[in-house]
Amino acid sequence: MAKIIIDGQEVECRDNIPVLQAAVDAGWDVPHYCYHPGLSIAASCRLCLMEMKMPHPQTKEMGWAPKLMPSCQTPAREGMEVRFATEKVQQNQKNCMEFFLLNHPLDCPVCDQAGECHLQDYSYKFGDPESRMVDQKLKNPKKDIGPNTLLYSDRCVMCTRCVRFTDEVSGTHELGLVNRGSRLEIDVFPGLPLDNPMQGNVVDICPVGCLLDKDFLFQRRVWELSTASSICPGCATGCAIRVDHADDKVYRLKPRYNPGINDWWMCDEGRYGFKYIEDSKRVTSPIVRRGLDATSPEWADIPEIVQFRFEQHVRENGGEKLAAVLSPFMSCEEGWLLIEFMRETAPECTLVMGPVPMEGDDQSFPVGATGDKVKFTILNEKCPNRRGVEMLLEAAGGNQCSFDEFVEKAGGGSFTAAWIVGGYPKEWVSKELNKATGKIDLLVVQDLLQNSLMTSAAFVFPACSWAEREGSFVNAGGQIQPFDWATNPPEGGRRDGQYLYEIAGYAGLYNGERVRKLMAAKIPAFKEIHEPPVRPVHAH
Amino acid sequence: MSWITVNRNEPAIDPNAPPILSAALCEKIRSLFPRYDTKRAVLLPALHMVQDGLGHIPWQAMKEIADILEIHPSDVIDTISFYTHFWTHPKGMKVITACRSVSCETMGGVAVLLELKKQLGIGEHETTPDGRFSLVTEECLAGCDHAPCLLINEKLHRCVKVEDVGRILADDNNDRISQKRSDLFDAPAGDSKSKDVSGLESTSDVAEMKASE
Ligand code: SF4
Ligand code: SF4
Ligand code: FES
Ligand code: FES
Repeated sequence: MAKIIIDGQEVECRDNIPVLQAAVDAGWDVPHYCYHPGLSIAASCRLCLMEMKMPHPQTKEMGWAPKLMPSCQTPAREGMEVRFATEKVQQNQKNCMEFFLLNHPLDCPVCDQAGECHLQDYSYKFGDPESRMVDQKLKNPKKDIGPNTLLYSDRCVMCTRCVRFTDEVSGTHELGLVNRGSRLEIDVFPGLPLDNPMQGNVVDICPVGCLLDKDFLFQRRVWELSTASSICPGCATGCAIRVDHADDKVYRLKPRYNPGINDWWMCDEGRYGFKYIEDSKRVTSPIVRRGLDATSPEWADIPEIVQFRFEQHVRENGGEKLAAVLSPFMSCEEGWLLIEFMRETAPECTLVMGPVPMEGDDQSFPVGATGDKVKFTILNEKCPNRRGVEMLLEAAGGNQCSFDEFVEKAGGGSFTAAWIVGGYPKEWVSKELNKATGKIDLLVVQDLLQNSLMTSAAFVFPACSWAEREGSFVNAGGQIQPFDWATNPPEGGRRDGQYLYEIAGYAGLYNGERVRKLMAAKIPAFKEIHEPPVRPVHAH
Repeated sequence: MSWITVNRNEPAIDPNAPPILSAALCEKIRSLFPRYDTKRAVLLPALHMVQDGLGHIPWQAMKEIADILEIHPSDVIDTISFYTHFWTHPKGMKVITACRSVSCETMGGVAVLLELKKQLGIGEHETTPDGRFSLVTEECLAGCDHAPCLLINEKLHRCVKVEDVGRILADDNNDRISQKRSDLFDAPAGDSKSKDVSGLESTSDVAEMKASE
């Protein structure tokens, strides 16, 4: 740790981190464009300049250097002194802002970035309200640089964050700087578009409205969005994300800073993978069948009906005829509640880990990197909570079997009652499973999208997408990461946690944290959860 | 201009086109590898070689250079576009360089440039369809005292007025250099009012100063 003095105030920071980072961490709003903690240092935007005390080259006497220094490029050293709140520094900020705005179009009303734009914010806070520019602005067209991204060249501030991202993080090098001086532009080689599994991050790190996401383009003004802290369900990496939503519709996902897991990034598969939330095949209301008679009872009546039918079934057929298939898309809390209910009803029942979707190989970035050099990995295990469910199963003990064994046994008539949880964003029911469940009298299907099991099920429960649920997922690294719900379930639906909570015999509102406490009391492994640190307000 | 979209997904080169760099040229580029720590470092010499060989560096050549150096083609266009020296399309027989810097601008350089563009029918860094002229602009041609200036190949035209443009372009000898000798170093001894080799009277200030001594 080093102690440095910023504007006369002592600040403690890690040795050798950029002075800019130390100041931002300590609450200063130091304007910056080119600096990003996840990229190399360019020191090209000149917005972060500060006055610095340093030894005179000849006399070695400490004094304020006549020139301003880039604080992003100066490592913090013990005893160092810098000044930020001075006229000289502020004048530089004004000059820089004027320069950035020279050719900048007056686009904010039609610009997607407006409302979360650091050109707007910094102009307001550090710039001058008036422009002295009398000449015509340079104008350049926007470029379609890839399947998911547009580049509005005229809004660029040339921070080169995006170029450094493709060079250093994705390792795909698609972006380059073309031309020079005031004609400098970001561009790709024609025909080699920005198209890699991590490209969406360039939109996040672009401090202005130059790089924009086609998927979100003109969908919603950002100030109308609310945000929920969540965890990406796309793969076992478990990136911390933000779910931006409005009117119960998810508009976009953005990564949250989560050091050691996803740092500042997320992959495109996760980023755009939420569209199934609005799938027309979603199950929205519960169905209860008795013989050929199907009804959609009130949610309030359901716990009692379920408990009654299961207890009756166990009385008539014995507890070992019962099985529950848990899904790696369930949260730990939901899984725990279901296990509670099943084992309460029949301690001998069989617990099963549902199918774990695997696709291809893991992908590491920068492309071609190995070992320490890897900055991000997309895992081939395409579900968020296999480990969480495994932890629950391990703690539950008793009768258990693999999914394949379950299908085989069920086909052989070993089970007469089963609770099968899906929640997979894709079709997942195999022919074998479909056939095997024909032998099950009391079948509960809890799933997101309609499937063939539902036609013969005694109970059909709509599962919610992760954006509508709350709880925690355990990622590949074993970190237990809580997530919040963003939107409400579709009309007629209910959060899985809520109905499982009631079916398991609890009263009142389901709350992830409360259930986690109950769970942790019985399974100590769930005591320690992982929550990413809050990023300083002025960091970006 | 955000209402116009340039489509960058479209390739600039035909993937089935035969290679444009000869095997010998490729070999010459590779032969520089031992001189540098990285292959990437050979980029600038390679660009010079290709431009010297082909006259310019077409998209196809950029891709081939990138393949040889094991870098992304975007890094090649990145470097090429930084230097006006490198041409991505054929250069004309004569390159006209108009000055766009301060002295020339205040003395009417902009009007001269516009007139050039009008008469040639091309923009900056472009070449006329007949291949005779290319037009570029540069910062200061070091002839400020005779602003506005323009260069045709290596011949400096001084104090160019809009109405001179037509005549200069029509002149077949508009790039012929009549090298003036330096009064300070080359003047024959004893001759205070020096003449240059072309027989024209020198306009140099130095000569005037000497004469008035
Ligand atoms: S980039 Fe920012 S300042 Fe520029 S038009 Fe968009 S919102 Fe406005
Ligand atoms: S496109 Fe955005 S991130 Fe890239 S250089 Fe321009 S402003 Fe920076
Ligand atoms: S120069 Fe320091 S942030 Fe850009
Ligand atoms: S400004 Fe034109 S030659 Fe110097």
